Amino acid sequence: KMKTDLCLSSEGTEVILATSSDEKHPPENIIDGNAETFWTTTGMFPQEFVICFHKHVKIEKLIIQSYLVRTLRVEKSTSKEPVGFQQWIEKDLVHTEGQLQNEEITAHDGHATYLRVIIQSAFDHFASVHSISAEGTVVLNSS
Amino acid sequence: MVKLAAKCILAGDPAVGKTALAQIFRSDGAHFQKNYTLTTGVDLVVKTVPVPDTGDSVELFIFDSAGKELFSEMLDKLWESPNVLCLVYDVTNEQSFSNCSKWLEKARAQVPGTSLPGVLVGNKTDLASRRAVDPAQAQAWALGQGLECFETSVKEMENYEAPFRCLATQFLHLYREKVELFQGLV
Repeated sequence: KMKTDLCLSSEGTEVILATSSDEKHPPENIIDGNAETFWTTTGMFPQEFVICFHKHVKIEKLIIQSYLVRTLRVEKSTSKEPVGFQQWIEKDLVHTEGQLQNEEITAHDGHATYLRVIIQSAFDHFASVHSISAEGTVVLNSS
Repeated sequence: MVKLAAKCILAGDPAVGKTALAQIFRSDGAHFQKNYTLTTGVDLVVKTVPVPDTGDSVELFIFDSAGKELFSEMLDKLWESPNVLCLVYDVTNEQSFSNCSKWLEKARAQVPGTSLPGVLVGNKTDLASRRAVDPAQAQAWALGQGLECFETSVKEMENYEAPFRCLATQFLHLYREKVELFQGLV
């Protein structure tokens, strides 16, 4: 099977929830394939967003580009509905002054239909997420 | 249009009017008011403040220690990750003003390496005959510390909104600065 970026809106992936939103910097910017556009948190933590693949995927590597994020937690679900999330990844990021944090995470047991990405804390009052890509394969296209 | 959320901590000596200030701000007939008493006995006042001349607003979550500032380990928990600071003293009590530098230091220590927008509020201006703190002196100190300075009388319901509007405006400016920074990264 061909490996693709599973986190692209052009592939049908959607952000179905975000706890904060500036209409100028909406959460869709995370999955538009362009690191120049971003989603911002708008004050206080934790903040989170939920990605829906609309299919069953197996993720091998997750790449997150962000700024000022301190503690990141990713949960995943393999349900048809966005419920039953289970703890998957938790990472403390390093502050990268003046350039994007580029976090590559090799994933174990990457079966998912949804991802819930939680920014637990940040290095400043606000943080940004510029892109998430998930390398892996489509297991099952949902009908 | 953006709606920001900011954790506001109230600092200052006991009995300067912190709780009264938060409560009068809350009860001012606004539509979006909520009031919570946390299980810890801490009062949380939540109120949305529109920022003048913008379509933007800031929902302030004002954490009031409700007199428990004497128990310092509890204050540490309550003061975790503040976004803005409301520092209050009593204009009839010189000591409460001089203690402000101690409170400010303690608040700023919560967010090392990050700016903490703040206001200095002299309360109880209704007790004019007992005034012990010169407004010019307070203004000079606040300026030196990067704080905006206000005087209020919670009792006479005077000027109690201005400090919170100012905090909302400062926090929005901080947000815009950060967004500009995020934009320049790629």
